[in-house]
This record gives sequence, C-alpha cells and structure tokens, in this order.
Amino acid sequence: MNDFSELEKDLKALRPAQPSPVLFERIEGAMAENSRARVSDAGPMANWFWRFTETPYRFGIGLAAAAAAVVLLIARISTDQTQNENTEIAQVSPPSQARPVQPSFSGRSGIDGSMSSNKFVSSGATQVVYNTRDEGLQFADGSQQPLRRLRYQTQQTWQWRNPSTGASLRVSYPSEEVVLIPVSGQ
Amino acid sequence: MDNIASHENWKSCFSEIGPGLLLFARQWTRSAADAEDIVQEAFVKFWRRNHQINNRALLYATVRSIALDFIRRDKRRVRREATAVAEADPTIEPQFEWADEGQSALAAAVSCLPHDQREVLVLKIWNELTFSEIAGALGISQNTAASRYRYALAHLKKSLQPQ
Repeated sequence: MNDFSELEKDLKALRPAQPSPVLFERIEGAMAENSRARVSDAGPMANWFWRFTETPYRFGIGLAAAAAAVVLLIARISTDQTQNENTEIAQVSPPSQARPVQPSFSGRSGIDGSMSSNKFVSSGATQVVYNTRDEGLQFADGSQQPLRRLRYQTQQTWQWRNPSTGASLRVSYPSEEVVLIPVSGQ
Repeated sequence: MDNIASHENWKSCFSEIGPGLLLFARQWTRSAADAEDIVQEAFVKFWRRNHQINNRALLYATVRSIALDFIRRDKRRVRREATAVAEADPTIEPQFEWADEGQSALAAAVSCLPHDQREVLVLKIWNELTFSEIAGALGISQNTAASRYRYALAHLKKSLQPQ
C-alpha cells in the first residue's frame, strides 16, 4: 500500500465539515426526552410488551373485543327470543305428559330443558394472511443481534353453530401482527 | 468499557465522532440538514439501546440503516412532489472543508467515486474504522472492504493524474 501512502495523507488532511452547533442541542434534548420516557418504562418485560402496545396491534385487540361483545349480545338476544317463543307455545299447548316429570319452579313451564338448544358451539376458525411486509432489520433494546421485523395483515373469521336450531353465526375482523425474527450473522 | 449512556461528557464524545458520522450520512442525503437529522436519530437510538460506544461498527450500521430508510421516505416524497427526475438520485458529494484548489479537486474526485468504494473510503479515512469494523458496519467481508478501499484509492489516483 506504499504507493497510496501519499494519497492517504492528502485525504486525511481533508477535513469533513463540522456539525452545526444546533445539532448538539437537538441531541441533548432528544436524550433528555428519552431519559424521561425510560423512567416510565416497564423494565425487562417492556421488550415483549411493546408488541402489544403498538397501535395496529391494539387496534386488532380492540376489534376482537368488539367482535366478542357482538357475539355475546347476539347470543343473548337469540336466547331471549327462543325462551319467549317457548313460553308462548307452552301457554297455548295442552299440558304435556312430561310436565309432571320435570316441574318448573321458575314459572316458565316446559322450557328448562331447552337451554341446551340455545348453545352455540364453535364450528370453525380461519385466518387468512393477505399481506406480509418486511420492515427490515432493527436492534431490540439491549441486544446486539439484529432482528428482522415482519408485519402480517390477516383476516380472522370465527364461526359458531347451534346444532339444534341450525342457526349459525360468523364474525370476521382484520388484525395485524408484528413479528421479530433474530437474524444470525453472516 | 463505558456505555455511551453513562458518558457525562457525551458532547466531547460526539465532537470526536460527529464530523465523521455526518460525512458518512451525507452520502445518502441531498442536504446537510437531512444528514444531521439522520445522525441525531442514529446517535440517540444507539445511546437509548445501551450499546457500547466502542462498538463503532454497530453505530455506523445504525446510521446506514436510518439513512436507507430516509432514502425510501425521501424518494416517495420526491415522487409525490413530482420534482425533476434528476433529483431522485439520493447521493450527493460529501462535504469537506478544503483550504486550497488541490483539496477542492480531491474532494470532487471523492464525490465521483462509485458509491460502494466511497462508503468504505469514508469509513476508513475520516472515521478511522478498521476493515473488520467496516465489514461489520456494511455487512460485507473484510476482504471485500479492503479491496473496495484499494479500488477507491486507485480510482482517485487515476482521476487526479494530470491529463
């Protein structure tokens, strides 16, 4: 490399431009801000917890909770309707032979055994990944090993069926998941 | 080994490596302001993650990663603004403080180097990284880093020769 030593010397004599003084203040400010944020961190669990506090994930959880609430509401309405129908039928029907065997203490004659017919049983669940995005490498807190960040966008569908009435219920909602995969060195 | 987070005098640490970091980041940006944004983000990210300050390969890899993200964002912005196609070229010549015509010519020659050679040259000359550290920062082998450096010097020597 001796033939390049003079050139290397000339290159080293060429000085890069200095950062603006404002940059120091900006970095200092950003560090102070991060220090404050760090105090409120959740400690070692934070590495794992961040995945669940990300907005898209939170959005998915929110949707799932909303879907579950809708399912419960519909199931409740369905149950009430069936009970009302049974009550009316009991009122117009002549006394059945089963009545003495299973007496009603609730005042709703002949419907106690029908509760099982209102049960919805899970009949299927699907998850369709319709988009995958590679968001590149990043470094997790305290780790020197790079991690590849993949974002999956999926459509999840849950199905329930009432075996006795044949009624079915289906709930679909979008979800988003971020996965970190450790990448080994080359 | 001190952690960068525990450096009371992080300013002096940054004063030492800041110009080199900025020059490294300038390879991907059109303006010094953009390069400073990249350096700030990288430095703070590196500090926040409690990395060792002497793990310079990782520091420069962080700058590079953020710079490449910046290019992607900037390209989208350029497309949106429908500016001239020539502006889409994300690279720009490194900025130096030169004292005479000879240094000016040298700076211009450095800016004309192929990007992969210039990247290695900037890390080796103005950031004083070893080939091992350069290899770590750029994700290449040490041999590749060394040969790119030699090609860069040969390229410069040739371009500076009087016609």
